[in-house]
Amino acid sequence: MLKIRIDGREIETPDGTTVLAAALASGIEIPHFCHHPAFEPEGTCRMCLVGIEGSPKLELACATKVKEGMKVSTDTPEVAAARRDVLEFLLAEHPLDCPVCDKAGECRLQDYYDRHGRFAGRFRETREKKDKIVPIGRSLLLDNERCILCTRCVRFLRRVTGTGELGVYQRGVRTWIGLYEGLKIDNDYSGNLVEICPVGAITDADFRARTRTWLLEKGDSLCPHCGRGCNVTLEFRSGSERSGEGTKVFRVRARENPGVNGHWICDIGRYVYPKGIEDRCRRVLMNKDGNVTELSWDQALVLLTEKVRALQGAGRGGRVGLVLDTFLSNEELALVRRAFSGAVAGRNYWFADPLPGRADGLLLTAERTPNRRGALDLGFELRAPDLREIAKSADLILIFGTALLEHFPEDIVREALAGIQAKFLFTAHAGALDRSVDVILPTALMGERSGSVTNIDGKVQSFHPVWNPPGDARPAGDILADLDRALNGERGVGT
Amino acid sequence: MSPVLSAEVREEIRAIASRYPRGEAALLPVLHLLQRLSGAITPVEERQAAEALGLDPIRVREVVTFHTMFRTRRAGTHVIEVCINLSCTMAGSEALVARLREVLGIDPGETTADGKFTLVTAECLGNCDRAPCLTVDGEDHGPVDAAAIDGVLAALRREEGLGEGTASRERGKS
Amino acid sequence: MTTTSLRPLMDAAENLFRLDAYRRRGGYESARKALKMAPSDVMAEVRKAELRGRGGAGFPAGIKWGFIRRDGDKPVYLCVNADEGEPGTFKDRWLMTHEPHLLLEGIIITAHAVGAHSAFVYVRGEYEGAARRLEEAIAEAREAGFLGEKIFGKDFDLEVVIHRGAGAYICGEETALLESLEGKRGEPRLKPPFPSSIGLFGAPTVINNVETLCNVPRIIGEGGEAFAAAGRPGDGGTRLFGVSGAVRRPGLYELPIGTPLRELLYAHAGGPAEGTSIKAVIPGGLSAPILRPDEFDLPLECSVLAGAGTMIGSGAVIAVGSNTSMLEVLGVMTRFYDHESCGQCTPCRIGTSWMHKTAARLASGDGESRDFDELVRVAVSIKGRTFCPFGDAAALPVLALVGKFRAELEERASEAAARKRSC
Repeated sequence: MLKIRIDGREIETPDGTTVLAAALASGIEIPHFCHHPAFEPEGTCRMCLVGIEGSPKLELACATKVKEGMKVSTDTPEVAAARRDVLEFLLAEHPLDCPVCDKAGECRLQDYYDRHGRFAGRFRETREKKDKIVPIGRSLLLDNERCILCTRCVRFLRRVTGTGELGVYQRGVRTWIGLYEGLKIDNDYSGNLVEICPVGAITDADFRARTRTWLLEKGDSLCPHCGRGCNVTLEFRSGSERSGEGTKVFRVRARENPGVNGHWICDIGRYVYPKGIEDRCRRVLMNKDGNVTELSWDQALVLLTEKVRALQGAGRGGRVGLVLDTFLSNEELALVRRAFSGAVAGRNYWFADPLPGRADGLLLTAERTPNRRGALDLGFELRAPDLREIAKSADLILIFGTALLEHFPEDIVREALAGIQAKFLFTAHAGALDRSVDVILPTALMGERSGSVTNIDGKVQSFHPVWNPPGDARPAGDILADLDRALNGERGVGT
Repeated sequence: MSPVLSAEVREEIRAIASRYPRGEAALLPVLHLLQRLSGAITPVEERQAAEALGLDPIRVREVVTFHTMFRTRRAGTHVIEVCINLSCTMAGSEALVARLREVLGIDPGETTADGKFTLVTAECLGNCDRAPCLTVDGEDHGPVDAAAIDGVLAALRREEGLGEGTASRERGKS
Repeated sequence: MTTTSLRPLMDAAENLFRLDAYRRRGGYESARKALKMAPSDVMAEVRKAELRGRGGAGFPAGIKWGFIRRDGDKPVYLCVNADEGEPGTFKDRWLMTHEPHLLLEGIIITAHAVGAHSAFVYVRGEYEGAARRLEEAIAEAREAGFLGEKIFGKDFDLEVVIHRGAGAYICGEETALLESLEGKRGEPRLKPPFPSSIGLFGAPTVINNVETLCNVPRIIGEGGEAFAAAGRPGDGGTRLFGVSGAVRRPGLYELPIGTPLRELLYAHAGGPAEGTSIKAVIPGGLSAPILRPDEFDLPLECSVLAGAGTMIGSGAVIAVGSNTSMLEVLGVMTRFYDHESCGQCTPCRIGTSWMHKTAARLASGDGESRDFDELVRVAVSIKGRTFCPFGDAAALPVLALVGKFRAELEERASEAAARKRSC
């Protein structure tokens, strides 16, 4: 560890860090565009120039390694002038697109102008004309006039995905970034480009003109779509009674976690998630004699409890079967075992998870649920569903999630379940499986409940509710706790 | 040029690349070679250079567009390059360019419609003590005056079997 | 080469560039001598010579060579900067065309000193003739056993590769040259690390200008002290001054370091051309801030010119005649830097274009007096803030031109405006 001073304030920082990294770690802002912590210093935007005692010229904070006793100043008129000049240069050749640019509100050029600029622009010449609204692949749009040539996008595609779809052409002020022969970006990390672009040069057609960033509420969560457990920030607008709309997720962004997902998330988590909160189950529904009726939670719990008791009374308590999934949190799985200890101990359970995919060598794992490792660590066996076995072993079945339909066609499932007297489906989404069960109980998604999941590397991560579940949907954990109390009485923790 | 490189050219590229610690270093000489053979560096030549040296074609285009000497379209049979930097400007290169524009009927950067002549300007060709200077098909000429220009053009036109007099006023972008 | 010729160097007679003619002039004797010396002794001699780089930066060559790390597992490379793009400069073209073996001999001695077995000569693309001449010389040298394996009968291999550029002034900057040599865009690199530790393909690399290396045989031949004595303290030897512009006898003049500018212009280059007078001089290539006649007594010496706010640069002395419009000079200057900016860093990419656009507007009659203030302001915003020295090369000449010739610039701009109005 070394000691340096930034604007008189003493900072301790490990040997080998840059001035910029040391400052950021201490909460001192040094504005910058081209630097990104995932890459080696670039040094081209010139925004991070600071004063260093002993150096006649301003030096790059991003590229200067700390030395014991170094004195850095960021608050001098010289530094202020250097920052202002970089901004004036950038804005000289930058279109006045703010009113129609999606980056407004989270744009570094805007933010830095507000903090370090505030000058009247003096550029009277004609700006360079470049291409705007260039589709470059997936849902990305490139605007070469807005581009400040920080080259983060080019470097990301070369060093992170190794796909290199973007290149830098020509030179001087005529330099522009673009595809090669129309070969579009088609990798699963394309969405990160929108995040790393410091301005509105790369934007998302998915997000284009739909809202303004300052209207979004934000909440931390985890992505549930694979075993990595990438940290995300969910950005949404709450529904309103008046509009009749529920919560709308506008964006999922990466949240940095060096031990899990680094700086990135993949496109599955980014783009699939917002769609996942549509088509929700909102009410407890019962299928009976071809009719669908709504039940209250009390009614549903009473019904389920009675059915279980009836089996126990007839000496067939072991005939309760569980089809689980590993979207369930550690706490929920523990509650399953607690409420249905017989079924778990008797191994009368199966796990119907979405079919695995291909791991991509970066973040995406083959397993496509967040808690397979958690289930294993809790002592569950992850046995794939066997419909014949299920039909044979259960007179009452609780099914969590709808991935059973990824394993078997619907009519086969319907046939197998037909012989089971009582079928209860716990699901967040309405779907084809509804028709094969007796009662559908609406559950809450990851953004709507709390719990923990264990990722593929064994890291346990917690998540907390970001918005309320729609309608009558409830966290599976709460439902299981109620069931446990109803079936086994108040036992307190620790059983 | 055919999209497929001949064995001779491939061998020449291999020989060039062998002079460097890594094949990529041979990119500029290979691009010069391909441009000499086919007149321009189009996506075809980009791909050929890329494949021959184990590079991504996009990196080839990055280099091609960075430099002024690589053309993406064929030049005319004869390329006249006039220096317009300081010593040559002071010696009257502007008048030379004007004369050439008049005689050839094209602007710098363009090729005559008959495909015979391309006119370009350059930033200092390193012949400053013989300003104003120009090159014709890579050969240095300087100091050049209007009479000398006329003489050079006349000789080239004879070579091309063209009559005397000014070229067609139609122009093609080069 | 001895310092006897004080007249413009004419094109050498037929075939003087050939190996046999070169050897008759004593060529390759210094290389033979150097290869019998320890590399450190060769370096010591060059340090004693106080030979400064002749490309523009003026860094002492012997000291630069001393930074080389020879002990690692990577080979040492020697790169020859023959990208001569500084406007006004033509000495390296002359050297490569007329004294190719002198350059090769300098390369051989230097390679021995720094431990390089591969030398790459990065020749600007436009110098096709010079590159060809060098290739021919290399073939002659190989045949004579001066290049290739076990040169001069010693246990030392050396290959020289001629590598042509393709039109980009910035490739004359040493790290941009390395990038270009590696097959990439010629964009300068962040320093540190310096090429002496991480250079071509990550290996320790020495980069020297053509003329710098051409002085090395003489240093070994007559000794470093004699070379140093021919110049000024800290700045040894003679150099080729290339005079162009409004003089009677433009050309190359080999003169001792420290020769006064006035002497070069009037005694050697014949003074102003017919019907004109010299109203300004750019002393070291376009990137060297311009001088007024009252500054013509300055000696052409690295440190003195630097102290006077300009530089010796490439030794290219451009005389601006009284009949040249300073507004035109401004236009050429700003256009050149706009054209050649690599575009990597913000102040240079935008600033060079901005200055050019303003200068063009002034020249076309749509400018006014305050635009010159704007030019100065933009130049000041570029100065000292850029990724590489190109920014200063673009900004300082503009500052000097506007600072020293404001009155004439304003007059020309007004004339242009008047012309425009009357059209």
